[in-house]
Amino acid sequence: MNKRRCAIAVVGLALYAIFISVAWCVGTSQAMHKTEALLDYAILDFRSTIFGAIDTMLGHVAKSSVRSFGKARPHTVEEMQGFAKILDIDEINIVDRNGNNIASNDPRCLGVSMLDFPESAKFMVLTNGTTTTYSQRFRAGAHNPDVRRKYLGAAFPGGNGFIQVGLDEKHLSGMLVEMLGFVFDEWLLGEKGFFLCADVTNDRMISNPARHRDEASFLKEAGFDSEAARPYELRGETGAGRTFVQTLFGDKCYCRNYVFGGHRFVPAVPESEFFGLRTAYVTVFGILTFLVLVAFGWFIDRVMRDSASLRAYLAAEGEIRAKDLAIANTIQNAAMPNVLPADPRFRLSADMSTAKEVGGDFYDYFPLDDSHYAFLVADVSGKGITAALYMMTAKTLIKDTLLALHDPAAALTKVNAELCRNNPANMFLTVWVGVLSIETGIITFANAGHNPPVVMRKDAAPRYLRPMSGCMLAVMDGIVYKPRMTRLKVGESLLLYTDGVTEALDPHGVFFGDNRLLDVVGAAKSSAPSHICKLVRAAVTAFADGSPQADDITVLALQYLAPPRVFSRLFPATRDGISEATDFLDKTMEEVSLADSPQVATLNIILDEITSNIVNYSGAHGFEVDITVVENPRSVTLVFSDDGAPYDPLGHIDPDTTLSAEERPIGGLGLLMVKKMSDQVVYTRGHNRNILKVVKSFPAAENF
Amino acid sequence: MQIEKKLDGSKLALKVIGRLDTNTSPMLEAELKLEGINELEFDIAELEYVASAGLRVFLGAQKAMIACGGKMTIAHPNATVRNVFDITGCSGIFNIV
Repeated sequence: MNKRRCAIAVVGLALYAIFISVAWCVGTSQAMHKTEALLDYAILDFRSTIFGAIDTMLGHVAKSSVRSFGKARPHTVEEMQGFAKILDIDEINIVDRNGNNIASNDPRCLGVSMLDFPESAKFMVLTNGTTTTYSQRFRAGAHNPDVRRKYLGAAFPGGNGFIQVGLDEKHLSGMLVEMLGFVFDEWLLGEKGFFLCADVTNDRMISNPARHRDEASFLKEAGFDSEAARPYELRGETGAGRTFVQTLFGDKCYCRNYVFGGHRFVPAVPESEFFGLRTAYVTVFGILTFLVLVAFGWFIDRVMRDSASLRAYLAAEGEIRAKDLAIANTIQNAAMPNVLPADPRFRLSADMSTAKEVGGDFYDYFPLDDSHYAFLVADVSGKGITAALYMMTAKTLIKDTLLALHDPAAALTKVNAELCRNNPANMFLTVWVGVLSIETGIITFANAGHNPPVVMRKDAAPRYLRPMSGCMLAVMDGIVYKPRMTRLKVGESLLLYTDGVTEALDPHGVFFGDNRLLDVVGAAKSSAPSHICKLVRAAVTAFADGSPQADDITVLALQYLAPPRVFSRLFPATRDGISEATDFLDKTMEEVSLADSPQVATLNIILDEITSNIVNYSGAHGFEVDITVVENPRSVTLVFSDDGAPYDPLGHIDPDTTLSAEERPIGGLGLLMVKKMSDQVVYTRGHNRNILKVVKSFPAAENF
Repeated sequence: MQIEKKLDGSKLALKVIGRLDTNTSPMLEAELKLEGINELEFDIAELEYVASAGLRVFLGAQKAMIACGGKMTIAHPNATVRNVFDITGCSGIFNIV
């Protein structure tokens, strides 16, 4: 929990830092923007003020001269110089209507035509009779290129010539500084900004803000570094360069450097003018962001805590479900019968592999009486304890009903009614029930919606036993299941299974399918049921090829066998008795059509060895030979019993077969041969008789 | 059981047909007059099987032949007989051809 909160705090602080940085940047940009705007405005204001004042003053001078002179007529240079001095201007010319300079304070200008110079020619507009004044910007003069001079003209009435007055930039700025010095002193920019004005040659301040008037008389004393400002210096009337930062009077200021007429005009805006805004930005935004982040962090913490507990809950839930399924599997497996029928007339084998999640398969087999045996395979819907318990109920119900009624169809009819009466979980099941008549091989069966079994006939390919199926159990009340019948001949089998077999999926999502099942069992239709079950399981596993098992896989195979045939006879314990016993064996083998089997010679040897032993050594009066022939797999069992002295031939020590002919004692070989040539030798003593049972299995190739 | 016997000087050839068991072995034993015989041949191609009683006859004959420095062969045993010889270790004693 603490780890989680630490992580949230770290993320929150990081976000806070990012937001604050952004706010700082935005605040800075805003403040800079406003500062620049104020400086732009200061320059514009300064220029319009100065140039407006010059125009007004020069216009006033020119117009009053027009009135004084009355009309354009010549005057001497001296007279004109006198006028210029009085008027405090640098140049004065009188021009006639043809553009000829007829009077000037500058002798070089006298007699010159205005039309000879493009800029001067523009003044000819004053001769059109309507235009009264015309002014130009400061420019290099025609005769004195080093001097920047501004000209203004005023027309004589009726366009009869005009008076042109000129003022040098340097002269003008000096005038203006004197005139406007007090203006600069009071010229505030924004709240705290100010204008500095100084002589550009020595940076002596002509004006500075009132509050600093006494403290500083030179720009550098105010902190101004004219060297630093120089790269941005611009000449004349064109713009005011770039903003630069300078500490003035102890405050960090944003400044421009505007040089005009030998004077430097510096509008300065202290940082505090607008950068307080940035602080406000950061503070307000910071507090808000902090609050939001704290709230958000709390929220995230809650969400994470909740999801952690949800995960824990789900894990616990999954564990419970896993346990539930494990219990269900245990119930399911424990419910299966495990004692196979001992009757030699049929064989049965079943196998079930339970899936983890779904499936509620079960099978059952049990005798109904000495000559009837019931077997079934079923599939309950669902999985888990509910399904397992339902399975138990259904299984018990089916068994009890079958034991009572002996008839599969009648039993299913009754079981269905019973299950429909009480089915709170809405479960259902499919079941195939058969009852084998052990003596005849006839199977009576009924099917409640289950997969049809495979019947494996002796002389045909395996096929599905598909008479019409009834409805599955526990779905609809009142269903009457119909009895069906089939008959297995000796060696024939029936295979029951659940849809876990035919609906097994391979990695590509293909079903195992009905035909594949027929193919699988077709190759081994005469095999023992256990082999068939193994074969089907292996085929499904190979087919699935690692795909998870989706459903229970259940198989049950039953094979009908020929009833064993038993032949018995008594013989005297004599040599003739041995001969008679040999004949008896030969005749019996003929009767069961085995006379041609190579195994008969082995049986004869066994019979000869044992009977000769009885005759020669037991002291018996007679002996009995029982021959039992079992089919599928075929075996012959010989049982010898005699009334001689108790003698267990199996206790006999085997002779040493590695000895040479001279060393070898005669005798003992016979019993060794019996043991080695048979599959099972069992000695018992009962009713004062020695009973020796010898079983000889026939090779698989001789079966069926 | 039938026995076809052929004597050629010191060589005795016997063809044994049928079964060699407790009751028939004495018959074969009776036919084996081995005095002066140093070469003994059994043709058992038509012998169905041999029980331990028959085996004893063969072993006895083998001993006699070894004693007189003679030679004994058993020819053409079927699978059952061969199996008996193998089980009992007689395959290593008899000269089977």
